[in-house]
Amino acid sequence: MSLRALWIISRENGENVSTFSRRFSTVEHRAKKLAGSAYVAVPEENTVLQLLLTELGLTESDKSYVALRDDCLHCRRSPALELRVDGPGKRTLWPVLAISQGPLILACLPLVDAPPEPRPPLANLLSVSQGLTLLAGLETYLLGSGSKLDSEGLSSRLAMLPSVLLQICPLGTPLDVPPLGAPATPIVPTPAGNQKQPSWKTGLHRGRAMVNVALIETVRSMQYGNQSRQDLWDGVLPNVMVTLTLPPNGSPLQDILVHPCVTSLDSSILTASSVDNCDGSAFSGPYKFPFSPPLETFRLCSYTSQVPVPPILGSYQLKEEENQLHVSVILKLHESVKNSFEYCEAHLPFFNSVVDVRVSAGQLDVSKEKNLLVWSLGQKFPKSREVTMEGKISFFGPTPGPTDPLYSDLTAYVKLHFKVPDMTLSGCCVDQHSVQVYSSAKPRIVTSRELQSKEYFIWNSTGTAPVSSGQMML
Amino acid sequence: MAVNWAERISAFSRSPSRFLSGTTAEAFLADLANTDRSLILVFDPSQVLLLSPLCESPILLCPSDSVGEETALELMSVFAQCPPKFVDFRCHLLLALTSVLLCSSCMSSCSCASQDFLDLLLEIAQDISDIHGDGSLRSLQATACDCLRELEACCPGILSQRLELLGALRQRETSRLHQAYAGLHTLVLRNAVYQLTQEAGAGAEHLKALLGGNTSFAWEADQDSGLMNKKDSAILSSVILGPVGTVPTLQTGPDCKELRSVLSSLLEESYLLTPLCQAALLHRLTEVVAMVPGVPPAIFRAQLLRLLGTSEVCLLHSILMMKCAFTDSLFSAEDEAFILKRLVVLSQHPLLNTPPKLFYMDCLLHFPENRPINCSDGDETLPVLLTPQLASALVPTVFNDSTTMLTRFNLLCLVYLEEAEEGVGEDGRGLAYLYEHLTSLMHIVEHGGSREIVVTFFRAAFLFLSYFFYVERYSNSLTDKLCELYFHHTQLAPHLINLADQTQDRLSGSTWGVGLLKALQRAITEAPLSQLTVHDLRWHLKMLARVAEEGEIPQQNTLNFLSCIITPSSSSLCVSSGWRLGNSVLGVCRRLLIHPSLDLLLIPLADILQHLTCHYGDTDIQDHARLYYTLLTTLSREKLASVLMQGEIQGGQQVKKQSLSCIMAESEGLTAMLTVHQTERLTHIGAHDFRFDQLFSIHLHFSLMDDHYEELSDISVPCLFRERPPPVVKLHLKPRRPYPTTLCASAIFTTQDGLSWHTNLPDIHVDFQQVFMPLPAPQAWGRASKLCLFEGLWDEMCQESRENDCATSRFCCQLKEAALLALVEKRFLPFLVSDLSTNKELKVLLFLPPQSHVLLKIRSEEDAVHFDIATDNWQLLSHIGSYLLTITSSQEDMQS
Repeated sequence: MSLRALWIISRENGENVSTFSRRFSTVEHRAKKLAGSAYVAVPEENTVLQLLLTELGLTESDKSYVALRDDCLHCRRSPALELRVDGPGKRTLWPVLAISQGPLILACLPLVDAPPEPRPPLANLLSVSQGLTLLAGLETYLLGSGSKLDSEGLSSRLAMLPSVLLQICPLGTPLDVPPLGAPATPIVPTPAGNQKQPSWKTGLHRGRAMVNVALIETVRSMQYGNQSRQDLWDGVLPNVMVTLTLPPNGSPLQDILVHPCVTSLDSSILTASSVDNCDGSAFSGPYKFPFSPPLETFRLCSYTSQVPVPPILGSYQLKEEENQLHVSVILKLHESVKNSFEYCEAHLPFFNSVVDVRVSAGQLDVSKEKNLLVWSLGQKFPKSREVTMEGKISFFGPTPGPTDPLYSDLTAYVKLHFKVPDMTLSGCCVDQHSVQVYSSAKPRIVTSRELQSKEYFIWNSTGTAPVSSGQMML
Repeated sequence: MAVNWAERISAFSRSPSRFLSGTTAEAFLADLANTDRSLILVFDPSQVLLLSPLCESPILLCPSDSVGEETALELMSVFAQCPPKFVDFRCHLLLALTSVLLCSSCMSSCSCASQDFLDLLLEIAQDISDIHGDGSLRSLQATACDCLRELEACCPGILSQRLELLGALRQRETSRLHQAYAGLHTLVLRNAVYQLTQEAGAGAEHLKALLGGNTSFAWEADQDSGLMNKKDSAILSSVILGPVGTVPTLQTGPDCKELRSVLSSLLEESYLLTPLCQAALLHRLTEVVAMVPGVPPAIFRAQLLRLLGTSEVCLLHSILMMKCAFTDSLFSAEDEAFILKRLVVLSQHPLLNTPPKLFYMDCLLHFPENRPINCSDGDETLPVLLTPQLASALVPTVFNDSTTMLTRFNLLCLVYLEEAEEGVGEDGRGLAYLYEHLTSLMHIVEHGGSREIVVTFFRAAFLFLSYFFYVERYSNSLTDKLCELYFHHTQLAPHLINLADQTQDRLSGSTWGVGLLKALQRAITEAPLSQLTVHDLRWHLKMLARVAEEGEIPQQNTLNFLSCIITPSSSSLCVSSGWRLGNSVLGVCRRLLIHPSLDLLLIPLADILQHLTCHYGDTDIQDHARLYYTLLTTLSREKLASVLMQGEIQGGQQVKKQSLSCIMAESEGLTAMLTVHQTERLTHIGAHDFRFDQLFSIHLHFSLMDDHYEELSDISVPCLFRERPPPVVKLHLKPRRPYPTTLCASAIFTTQDGLSWHTNLPDIHVDFQQVFMPLPAPQAWGRASKLCLFEGLWDEMCQESRENDCATSRFCCQLKEAALLALVEKRFLPFLVSDLSTNKELKVLLFLPPQSHVLLKIRSEEDAVHFDIATDNWQLLSHIGSYLLTITSSQEDMQS
C-alpha cells in the first residue's frame, strides 16, 4: 500500500523534462525483500523519463514508426505501464501508473505486496488504486480545477511539493490528497469533547454558516438524422446536496456516486443503473444524502439519467452540388425546455472554404483561423422554437490546411454549446426547505440548478458518422 | 552556499551514480552533516532539502551498517539540538533517520541507535504536553507515527508488544491525529495476528494476551530474536491473493471478543479517515478477519453500502479485496451481481477520469468471483455474469482515447469470443460491430489520422486478429482493406510489416500474415507502373523485401517488378535515383538470394544484378550489385545461404529494419563471411578451441622450395572432427631429381560458424631414402635375372672411360657381422638383389625415379665393412654417403 517512487514531468518548450522526483527508500527496501530474485531496481531519473515517454508514445515525434514505441503487440490495456528497463523482452518495471494532463505527466510506481510471479492482477494490489488517487489529487493540486493553466501558480506549487508530501505521503505511504486552494490551514485544536474530528477536515470553519446547493446537469447527445441509428443523450449532474426529488413521472437517477463524506446510503438509491434494463418499478426518490461537509466546495454526488427526448433536436444536411455544398441546418427546442439560455451556439467546422449562408435567427461569425462557423443564437429561440440555416459552401482548392480526420468527405457535424439556468433535464431538484442542518448555527440555504451541453453533436445525415454505440446493436 | 547546495542536491537526485563518481559518498555525507548543524544556528527553513539525499538514497550514502549507525547518531544529536519551532526540519530529520536505520539494516539488527530512535518516536507519540498549543507538536507526532508505521512495515512485529498502548493512544485522540494512530494500530495488529498464525499451537489465549499487552507468555520472550531477523518475506505480502493463495489462519474458536471489539471500534470510526487511509485500514482489517476465522466477515457489513456508492477508486477497491477474501461468506450471489454491475457502471462513468476507468475494466477481467470456474492465475478471464448485454455499455467508440478504446476493444473481443465459441449470437452482431469499429478506425487513418490513431488502429487490428483470425469472412476482408489502405498511404509499410510479423509470431496456426504479404505483393506488382512515384517505390521495395523473406510466397512477380523499374524503357524511376533507392532494390535482391526457390529465380535475378552493375547511376550500388552477382554465380547455394543468413543473424533486426545502413552493415557481415581468417597454427590438434572442433572443406596446399619435384596439386578433405579418427592423407611426389627436399604446406578450411580460415602447416621434409624404389622389373623376373641385371649395370657404371654421369665410390665403417645383417635387413631388404643368407657379398639395387640408380656391394673385410657404390648419377654420391653414414653410425650406437 505504498509507493516506491514518484515523478513529475513537465513539457517545457516542446520537450519533456523531469521537474520533480522522489524515491521512497524504505519502500524500495521492502520491494527488494518482497520480490527476491525478481527484483528490478528503479533506474535513474533520466532513464525512467525516456522509458516512460516511450511507453506513452511521446518519443521521437518526428518519426512515423519506431519499433520500440509503435509495435502493435505492445498494446497498453490497463492504467499500469511496463517500463522495459533492459530493452525489449527483458526485465520490466511494473506497474508504473501515469497520468498525463495539460503540460504535466505524473507517474508513480506502487509497491507490489504479492508474490511477483506470476504477475498479480492489479485488483490484488491496493497500492494501485492508492497511487491513482494520489496522482489525481496531485494533478488537481498542481493544475487547479480551472481550464486555464496558471504557470506561475504551477511553479510555486511545485516548490511547495516537498512539504506537501511530508503531510500527505511521508515515507511513500499516501495518506491524503493535497489540500486545494490556499495552503493547508494550520490545524486548529478541536474543542474538548468526545467527538473526533474527521481527518479529511483540515480545521474548523470560521465565519457565517451557509449551505449552497448547486445542481448542474450536463447533457450529451449524438444525433444522426438517420433512421438506422438511434440518437442518444444522457446527463451528468455534479454538485448536488441533501434531498433530491424527481417529478412524479421522472425516470430514476442512475449510477449514483457519492463523496466519501456521505455517512450512509440507502441501498435503494444505488439500484438503478444505466447498464441495466430499466425497471419501471425502480426507486425514484426522494434521494437522501446525509453527510458532514468538508471545508472546501465538493461534489456531493453525481448521477446519470436517461431522458426520453433531447432538449434540442437538430437536423443537418450537406448536399453536393457541382463544386459546392448545399447546407441545411434545423434546430428545434423541445417544448419542455425553458426558452431562456445563458448562451447557445452552434459550431460548424469547415476547412478551406468560403461560406455563404443565411440564418432565420441569431448571428453568424466566421472564424478563419479556427476554420469554424459560429452560429450564435443568443438567449432565446424564436416563438416557433425552431431556427434554420441555409446556404452554400465552396471550397478553394486542395491547399493543405488543418484537417480533422473525423471530418472528411461528407462526414460532418454541428456541435452545440448551451447553458440553461434554473432547469434540469431530469426534473431533479433540491427544495431549499428540505435541506436540513443539524447545527446550532442557522445557516443560509441557497439552491440553484442549471443545464449545460457537453459533447452535443448533430451529424450530417447524408454522410457517414464515424461513431456508433453499443446500445444500437441490442 | 545555499545555491550551491540546491544544485548539488538536485544533481545528486537526478543521477546519484554520476554525482558520486565526482566525489565520494563519505565526503558528501560529511558535508551534509556539517551543514545540517550549521543550519540550525542560522536557520533556513527551505533547507529541508538537504536531508533528501539521506531520505532517498540512504544505501548509497551509508553503504555499511556502521556508517548508517554513525549517521543516525549524528542526525539524532542534530534533532536534539534543533529548537521545537522548526517543525518541518524536525519532521524531515525523523524521516531521514527512519530511512537510514531501515535501509542500512541497523534496525533489523537492533543496533543502539535504532533502539534509541524507537524510544524517541514512542516518546513523541505519547507526548501530551502541547494539547492546547499551536499544533506544531501534532505535526511532529503525526510524522513520528508515520515513522513508527514504516518501521513496523519493514520489520514486522517490532511493535507488537505495544499494541495496547497504541490502541489507547488512538482512542484518546480526538484531533485529526487519530488517523495516524489508527493506521499504526491496524498495521501492528495485522502483523501481530500474522505472527500468531505462524506459532504452532497459538490460539484464543495468545490473541487475548497480545491485545492486552500482556507479555507473560513464553512465546513472546523469544519473539525479538525470532522475528526481527526473519528472512521470510511472506509477512510483508498481502494475504489476500485470490483463489491461488492460501491464507494463514489462527484457530481461536468463536471466543475472540477482545479482537472483535477492537475491530468494531476501528470500523466505526473508519468513516472519519481520509479515503486513502480508510482503504488501507479496511485492507488490513480484511486481512485480520481472513486470518482469524473466529471473527465473522459480517463485521464489515455496516460499511458495505457506503463503500459501494463511493466515487473514490481506492474505497471501491477495498470492497473488491473483501470480495476476494470472503467471497460468499460476505457477499451473496445477488451482491456479486450488483458489484459487477457497479464495476461496469464505473468503467464508463462520465464523471471519472480515464485511469480509474481503466483500472475498473482491469478489475472486470480479474473479478473475484464467488465460484470461479477456472482458477487461472493472472490471466484475463471474463466473469460469468458479464453478459454481452451488460458489456455493451463498454463498446469502444472512436471518441475514446487510445488506451480506453483498446481496453474496451479487448474486453468486447473476449465477450464475443465466448459468444462465438458457445455458438450463441449466431448472427454475430457483436463481432460485426467490432469489425465495423475497426473499419471506422481505418477510415480515420485513411483520412490522415494522427500518428497515435494510426498506432491505435494497428493495435486494434492485431487484437481483433488474435481473437478472430479464424473467422475468414473478416480476416480476408481486413486483408483487402489493408491493401487498399497501403496503396493510399504507402508510408504505413512499417506498421503493416510489423502487423504481419507479429501475427506470424504470436498466432500459431494462422497464416494470415503470409496472406497479407502475398496480397500486398500482388497489389504492388500488378499496379500500373505509370502511376508509381519515387516515394511510393521506396516503401514498395521495403515491403517486397519483407515479402521476399517468406519462403512460401513465389517471387517471380517481385522479380518482374524489379526488372521493370530498373529498365529505363519502362520506368524512369531508377535512372535518376541515387543510392537510397538502389540500396532498397539491393535489399530485395539480397533476400531473394537466400529464398528457397532461388533455383527458379536464378536467371532473372542475375539479369537484374548485372543490369544494376552496368547501368545504375551510383557507383557504390554498382559495386554491391557486382558483389551479389558474383556471389550468386560463384558460390554454391549452401554457401550463399550460409554467408547471407549469417550476416542476417549477426546484423539482426537492425539490418532488416534500417534500410539506410542495410548495405553498410551487410558489407561488414559479408566481409567477415568471405574473408579468410588467419590463424597462427591449426589448433585442431593442440590447445582446445571449440571453434575448431569441427572443420569442413579442408583444402591442403603444398609448395616446393626447389624444383627437384613436380608441382603438387591441392588435396581436399571433406571434414575433420575432433572426436573422430582423422582421415589419412597420402602425398604422391613425382621427383624430377631424386634429392631430399622440404615442402611448405598450408590449409584453408571452414568452421561451423561459416567463417573461412587459412593456416600454415608445419613443413614436410622429404628424406633421401624416401625416394628409394625397388627395381621396376617385370613381376616374372627371378633373383637370377635381377642379379644378372645388377652385374651388367655395375660393369657399365664402372667403365670410367664413358662420357656420362657414372661414378663409383667406397664407404667403409666398423660393423660386426650381425649388425651388418640387421642393418641391411632393416634398411635395404626391399632393394636386395642377392640372397641375404649367402653372406658373402650383399648386392643392393636402388632405383631413384625418374631415372637414376645406385648400386651397392656390401661385404665384410677383415678390418671393416666395405660399401662399394656405383651410380649413374654422380650427384647422388654425397647423399648416399651421408645416408650411409647416418644409418651405420646409428647401428654402431646400438652396438655399443
